[in-house]
Amino acid sequence: MTAATVEKREKTDITRLFLTQRIPLLAVLIVIVVVTFFINDAGGYLTAPYDFDYMSASLINAVPLAMLGLAEMLVILSGRGGIDLSVGAIVSLAGMVFGFAYGEWGWPLWMAIIATAGFGALCGAINGFLVSYIGFPALIATLATFYAFKSIAIVINNQQPISTAPIQDLFSLSKSVELPIIGQYIPDVPLGIFTFLLPTVVAVWLLLARTAYGRRLYGIGTNDVAARWAGLPVRDTRFKAYVYAGLISGLVAVVTVAQFASARPDAGVSGNGMALPAITIAVLGGVAITGGIGRVAGVVLATLLIVWLNAGILLAFVGNEGSQYQLLALGAVLVFAALLNGLTNRKYGGAQ
Amino acid sequence: MTLVTERTKPRVLTNPITGQEIVLVGVIAVLWAALAVSTPAFLTAGSIQPLLVATAPIALVGVGMTIVIITGGIDVSVGGAIMVCSVITAKTLVSSDVSLGVAVLISLLSGGVLGLINGVLIAYGRVHAIIITFGTANIFMFLGLQIFGSGTVNGIPATLGFFGRGEDGRTLGVPHAFLVTILITAACWWYLRHTAGGRHFYAIGGDAQAARLAGVRVQRRVLLAYVITGLLVGLASCFVIAQGTSTLDQSVGSGKELAVIAAVVIGGTSIMGGRGSVLGTLLGALLVQTVSSGVTQLGWRSQLSDLFVGIFIIVAVGADLLRARARRSR
Repeated sequence: MTAATVEKREKTDITRLFLTQRIPLLAVLIVIVVVTFFINDAGGYLTAPYDFDYMSASLINAVPLAMLGLAEMLVILSGRGGIDLSVGAIVSLAGMVFGFAYGEWGWPLWMAIIATAGFGALCGAINGFLVSYIGFPALIATLATFYAFKSIAIVINNQQPISTAPIQDLFSLSKSVELPIIGQYIPDVPLGIFTFLLPTVVAVWLLLARTAYGRRLYGIGTNDVAARWAGLPVRDTRFKAYVYAGLISGLVAVVTVAQFASARPDAGVSGNGMALPAITIAVLGGVAITGGIGRVAGVVLATLLIVWLNAGILLAFVGNEGSQYQLLALGAVLVFAALLNGLTNRKYGGAQ
Repeated sequence: MTLVTERTKPRVLTNPITGQEIVLVGVIAVLWAALAVSTPAFLTAGSIQPLLVATAPIALVGVGMTIVIITGGIDVSVGGAIMVCSVITAKTLVSSDVSLGVAVLISLLSGGVLGLINGVLIAYGRVHAIIITFGTANIFMFLGLQIFGSGTVNGIPATLGFFGRGEDGRTLGVPHAFLVTILITAACWWYLRHTAGGRHFYAIGGDAQAARLAGVRVQRRVLLAYVITGLLVGLASCFVIAQGTSTLDQSVGSGKELAVIAAVVIGGTSIMGGRGSVLGTLLGALLVQTVSSGVTQLGWRSQLSDLFVGIFIIVAVGADLLRARARRSR
């Protein structure tokens, strides 16, 4: 073997690493985005400083985004066209349930949170029942429940948001806190990261990487016929993926209510809704839309990329121009990630 | 002799009318009868005409979406595309004195270009359509908002009144928008059933690999499906502009993609591809509009109609699943 071929092999291996391993690629993209905005900031092109404090504060947006991205990941992993268009509507409806329980009926906070998460899981169970036991295509089932949940959320309190005193006090949950021990050396971090996001990330990671259920989920997503012949409980496994997605959406409802300081009936469906960004995050994070492939770390990194990109765009434009360019960025990044997935699949047979 | 040839002729085409379509006609008839009894104002021209006008754009985009879904794809960017086409056309109408034909051409052209973008990315990028169109939906929305500039487009002249609500928008009391929709639906119905090109769409949706081996140019056909959808989005945008007052705001097209998909699946088209009819889609769109019109006329909250749409989707697709199970077990 000549020196030239060895060199060529090494070069291909690096290209291959970045194309097939989503995590290093995302890490590099995050660095590029952050450095770009730092340079812009130093040049005085931004309307406000883009620094570590700002980046840390903007992480508040990562909480619902990453959680719903993980929810989508679970259902997309389950294969057979798995997707959940209804997560935004579940956030709206479960948020109203939380608003009633905590804001109107005066339940204790922990009970209200458990009830809301349970209600979300119930909504997810409807999706899961339709998809895995009746055999609805996931797109149709969750489209139907999207309409139904959205409608009930808006009608249930006559289109009115619930923002009584206890709900308004919840806003403190979304404030930033100083970490113990090392906190004085790093910027304050939004509380929701520790109370909601990290537990969810750890739970989903444990579920996928450390339990038999996780192995089964990857198995049925890769090839559910083979999984059935191997004796796996395909229906039950797929059903639970939707239940977990609903449960996470219920928790996001609590986060959203705290952030808005009110339970809004259109919280998860206004504008583009929450499902679209969540699916984008999952795909960008390397979850294969055909199921069976995807990692928690990919989804988390994809969230950081989008959050810090959006935060920078907001500073780069004046007025609502910024939010329009966020649409462009989200769309362009998604198309890019999808084409990359397609290319990788053809060239190397499957992204990890 | 004739009898024998007919018997030996291979039966390629299924029945011209499917069970789903008959059921839909029945459901719509029952709904109309119930509404006519409960609200006397329902069966009057003043109530039916707006219903048909509102059905037209959904059904028209639905025809394109049906072809896309038959090939095994989906297009969730039509809401954003309607926004782009209608704002381009509306701005042209406001700024220059173009005729009806030119306005329609501009709209068709913009829709066609957007469809072409989707089609190229999906057919040649070989990525699942839902991902690409989720992405282009955002990009189209960005484009639309940029063209809007800030706020609304005001003072749109009545050039497109031919498709509109007023007196000159009807012939024999039937709105032109609905007539055009029926004509295009019929043309597509014939094209899909009776031409080789049309049946290729079904072949691709049934099994793209087999279709390719059988000589179907899969990528070109898929591209064509998205371009047709884009063109129909362009025409539908003309209806949308004509429907409203002289103002167009930024919410135009928002959420339309889900309404269109709902009409298509209620119409009996299989989301897995390979099976579906544009006639069913027209009926599905009519059903959805009847429900929302009925909910308003009964004095219920208009948002309740979404709940009924959700239930209709589950019932319509559920019935189809049961039928498929019965077919398999036979």
